[in-house]
Amino acid sequence: MKKIMIIEDETALRDELSVLLQNSGYEPIAVTDYDNVSEQMKAAEADLILLDINLPNVNGETLLQDFRKQSDTPVIMLTSRTTEIDEVLSMSYGADDYITKPYNPTILLLRISAVLKRSAKVGAVQKFHDVEVSTVKGSLTRNGSEQILTKNEMIIFQLLLDRQDEIVTRDELMTALWDNDEFVNDNALSVNISRLRGKLTELGLPEAIETRKKQGYVLK
Amino acid sequence: MKLTDYLKDRLTAYLIYGTSWVLVLIFMAAFRISFQAIIIVSLILLLAIIFAELWGYFRKKGYYDKLLHCLDELDKKYLLSEMTDNPDFLDGRILYEVMQETNKSMCEHIAEYRRENKEFREYIELWVHEIKLPVASVQLMCHNDNNAKYSEQLKRIDDYIENVLYYARSGNAEKDYIIKPVSLKRTFADIAVKNREELQERNITLQTDNLDIDVMTDGKWLGFILGQLMGNSMKYEASEISVTAEDFPDKTILHFRDNGCGIPESDLPYIFDKTFTGENGRTHKKSTGMGLHIVKKLCDKLGHGVAAKSIQGEYTEIIITFGKHDLHEVTKL
Repeated sequence: MKKIMIIEDETALRDELSVLLQNSGYEPIAVTDYDNVSEQMKAAEADLILLDINLPNVNGETLLQDFRKQSDTPVIMLTSRTTEIDEVLSMSYGADDYITKPYNPTILLLRISAVLKRSAKVGAVQKFHDVEVSTVKGSLTRNGSEQILTKNEMIIFQLLLDRQDEIVTRDELMTALWDNDEFVNDNALSVNISRLRGKLTELGLPEAIETRKKQGYVLK
Repeated sequence: MKLTDYLKDRLTAYLIYGTSWVLVLIFMAAFRISFQAIIIVSLILLLAIIFAELWGYFRKKGYYDKLLHCLDELDKKYLLSEMTDNPDFLDGRILYEVMQETNKSMCEHIAEYRRENKEFREYIELWVHEIKLPVASVQLMCHNDNNAKYSEQLKRIDDYIENVLYYARSGNAEKDYIIKPVSLKRTFADIAVKNREELQERNITLQTDNLDIDVMTDGKWLGFILGQLMGNSMKYEASEISVTAEDFPDKTILHFRDNGCGIPESDLPYIFDKTFTGENGRTHKKSTGMGLHIVKKLCDKLGHGVAAKSIQGEYTEIIITFGKHDLHEVTKL
């Protein structure tokens, strides 16, 4: 389970973030003592850090700058500061992403998984059972037979694969598609999923995507 | 300064001279001074007065003409006192002193307002940051409790907060934005995702074309501008929003078009005016007349052109023009 450290001084927000991360299969570590955040950041050995800019006694940007001298653990800045200047500064100090409050929880989770994937240096080829998933070619290969996925189908399959054996809601799939400039509607999503099912059936996996009524889909 | 005006202004002095000359004549006649002597004395006095008056006239004319000319040429009239010299005649010096003094006092007064304005804006910024925390918390609570009921209202609250923030920013004299290459595609996708629920609820389709272009702007400000335009399209019954960009060597033009109720021709010149709501404002309750006004102010500050085209009942199109500079090439390197 990936460990995610939360450095956020607003209690309500911190607690809700912990719940959100826990529900999404991460292990949250919440910082509650702001006297030696820098040391805690180094000691925690987290896989990813969510860092606020306005903290008691200390500035998140300074923390990040300091932290980057020793570690390349991914850091996402979560902040209510909404100027481009803050974003550019944070990115230049080595932040991996910059998200402003209030954030869409689904987007936040998508960004977290994208940053984690980038840092884990997942290769161009992933495995789903005995199917080879090539994101570069946008194809699924099993026992020598290949199915080419469209961009939309690949986005859907990728999200299901990242959360294999978990329920992914239609809302999450929709957000992921829109985030990739595919402004599809409800019908188009259903069509894409049934086409994806068709292609998996061609590969001999007709039961791969399971529908959970009123909840979403699970890739098994 | 006209000579006739000057002479008119000096009329009292001439009357005094005239009266005393008449008195002098009477006395000289009474003392039986010769006629020639009287003529000579009168001529000397007359010439002396004429020369003295001409000297006085030209001395003042030189100074005041320059002053008026300066005033005429200046586009910021209040800078006049910085542009004038201290003259060598008494009333001019008094005027000069007065001008310097009032100018100084006005500068202090303006500085005071500017400081108050700045403090107020900083407070607004701070307040916005603070109010966003509970909004963010409630939004996460909704998600964690699987309760989407409040999300829409939260989104509205957040939009209104953003409005205040950008209104404060748009009126600010200081530069608190940075211009750098920003992807139109990425910015538009972010705004689309933010508004996805409402767009889908209203069955609005999005069409984009040729947005894979970087423009020189402030990403956050552009995001706000696009959000406002999208909000308007949703408010005014659009069922399709089409966003396209055209790239030219010297500029990029963004067309934000919807097929909503459109704007009456008579209202079109005023849509960027503050608190203008027009006919659509009367038929649609939520109109404040601030959205497009802020958009216009932000575009002006960023140096983008913004214009609108519309046919009532058919479409509304907002056109934003982004300039390109050599700077673009520099930042790309």
